[in-house]
Amino acid sequence: MLVYTIKRFFEMVIVFFLFLVISYLLFNAIPGNAFSSLLLNPLLPPEAYQKTIEAFGLDKPLFERVQLYIINFFKGDFGYSYTYYPRTPIDLIAERLPRTLMLFSIVNVVAFYTGFLVGKILAWRRGSKSETWITIGSVFSYTVFYPWFALMMLWFFGYKMDWFPLGKFLVPEKWYDSPYASDEIFYTLILFTTISSFLLFLVFIFTRNIESLQKRRNARLFGLIILASLATMYWTNGEAALKRFYAADIAYHMILPTFTVTLVAFAGTALLTRTTMMEVLKDDYILTARAKGLSQKRIRDRHAARTALLPVVTSFIFTIITIIDGSVLTESIFSWPGMGQLILEAVVQEDIPLAMATFSFIGILALIAHFIADISYAFLDPRIRIKAEN
Amino acid sequence: MENQNVDRDVKAAIKKNWRLFKQSKIGITGLVIVIFFGFLAILQPLLFLTNIWDEATYHPVVGYDAEKISRTVVECPDQYPTKEYPTREDCPRVDEVNIRYLKAFGIEAEVGDSYESNVQPAPPSSRHLLGTDSLGRDIFSQIMEGSQVAFLLGLISAIIGVGISTLLGTAAAFYGGKLDTYLMRQSDLVLMLPTLPFLFIISAFAELKVWHLAIVLGTLGGLGGTVITIKSQALQVKVKPFVDSARITGGSKRRIMFSHILPNVAPLALLYMVFSVTGAIASESVLSFLGLLNIDMSWGIMIYLSQTEGFIFTGLKYWWLIIPAGLAVTLLAGGFYLVGRGLDDVFNPRLRRR
Repeated sequence: MLVYTIKRFFEMVIVFFLFLVISYLLFNAIPGNAFSSLLLNPLLPPEAYQKTIEAFGLDKPLFERVQLYIINFFKGDFGYSYTYYPRTPIDLIAERLPRTLMLFSIVNVVAFYTGFLVGKILAWRRGSKSETWITIGSVFSYTVFYPWFALMMLWFFGYKMDWFPLGKFLVPEKWYDSPYASDEIFYTLILFTTISSFLLFLVFIFTRNIESLQKRRNARLFGLIILASLATMYWTNGEAALKRFYAADIAYHMILPTFTVTLVAFAGTALLTRTTMMEVLKDDYILTARAKGLSQKRIRDRHAARTALLPVVTSFIFTIITIIDGSVLTESIFSWPGMGQLILEAVVQEDIPLAMATFSFIGILALIAHFIADISYAFLDPRIRIKAEN
Repeated sequence: MENQNVDRDVKAAIKKNWRLFKQSKIGITGLVIVIFFGFLAILQPLLFLTNIWDEATYHPVVGYDAEKISRTVVECPDQYPTKEYPTREDCPRVDEVNIRYLKAFGIEAEVGDSYESNVQPAPPSSRHLLGTDSLGRDIFSQIMEGSQVAFLLGLISAIIGVGISTLLGTAAAFYGGKLDTYLMRQSDLVLMLPTLPFLFIISAFAELKVWHLAIVLGTLGGLGGTVITIKSQALQVKVKPFVDSARITGGSKRRIMFSHILPNVAPLALLYMVFSVTGAIASESVLSFLGLLNIDMSWGIMIYLSQTEGFIFTGLKYWWLIIPAGLAVTLLAGGFYLVGRGLDDVFNPRLRRR
């Protein structure tokens, strides 16, 4: 296992360097002088101009420039952003990245879980009326033209019903006399979500091996109640009680984007689970389980769904990258100030240092997701694990 | 003689597969949708050629037609609600015009007069089946133009992509070794490339037309994940006895690859081709929705226009500007997806019902 991990890691490092070089060459291929908008930008003082020329080695030959770019990348030095002048690209990314990560990790987890649940039930009820309708619904949400769908959701829930805000990160009026910066509140929110989801995960892991389904459900319910009361205790005491009002504002803005992306993202998982589950249900051991007289629910959840999970996990790994892609659209429609919006803005306004930095960072994000997925897949699939150990 | 046999075999295979395909309701539904849009795409040039449609009126980009309507001039009250108008948005009604609005443009009129004006966007009528947009262009004609763009792009990119991935996947399985390692790492690299930002960057320095986009999307799709899937299929074919017997009877490597392995991988390739059309249509619409493509008219541009002109939040009042384009993208992409699912049932015997 360790050898496999190390091998994959080295391959990833090579792929990563290739990615850096290719992304530099891509920007280098922009016709004319890619940095010429720098000369036309009256906001930039001469020092910034000098600094950019030096940082990117614009007066040097191509090979040295590529080298310089890679070195600068590890130093985290991308010069200045043209549009947000005194700020550097790294500064901007550090501000925006947590917002994207927060939104999309929640969406990912929720979408994967609901998708798996729905797919499982679909395969189990094959041939029934409800199966047909839910499948049609899933195919619709899988192939729906996403920006259009998101705009319609925004119109319906945000404008017509007025239940949710029309995009954006927070309501500025509420923050005029706030003692906290919005990022500070947001980090508290991130910490809270991470810890509570970790505890939730622990509850699920510990109750996994309880044999009786009835008892397991009760144990899980009990765990959930304890977690909920812990959360209420946290938000009503000490400093958190002051932050609560502002945190609620941000959380309120997150609901609609999360809901919309989940509706679109769950369908892929549901459809795939349906297919793999149908294949599994034809296997002999399911027949054996039936012959043994096990309850339907146990066959479905314990025998079939566990086996069907594996291909779904693989495909989920690939969708992580698509979801990073999709963040661009979601963020520009819901005006969520994250990485996706940053790169779109940078490309449209030809802010090249910023575009380069964001593109490289999105690439790294995808790479890390890919790497973790690869390793966990090898860990989950005994065939690969054994092959790697021998 | 041999040729005739081959012909008969192919015909029999097609007939058998068609029978299987017919059984899946999903596949047939998808096929009907795809044929419907194909019909729309072909219909528009025919209508122009036969002069049933006048180019000056119905051209999707430069056509113009204004519907005249006479409205009553009214004066909107300052205070709401009144007896006639419950809220500010209800005044003026569809068949009325506010006198202050006319005065602002220097038009003399009295309350109670009838005032003739152009309606843009005009609601659906017998002349314009889906109404016109804010520039007086026929929406139905735009939908037809959009389906031409979608078919052109989807098919070109699918053919390029699947051609590349089939060749590379088979070669990787057949030759193995260094070529295999290289191709797999390459598809890793392409897989981890965030596609949309990548296309943004390309569109920042190149004027992307439909052709260019088709080639870029096709190449990206062809070098990516499909290679891995096709390779695994080709590996299964490679160990079958007929490949060994072909080798023993002295078939050259190239011949074995092209005439024994490739035909057995082809069904899977066809399947991926159909699925990749879905992706290509969606990518095109997204890029033109963000205004990054250099195309005159497409479904994405229709939605882009309805958003930038502010019609999207008027809800169902201007539904013909919002619903048809979005539904068209969804339906065609969904149609190709459903055809793919139907083919999946045919080529993947394990999924068949019995």
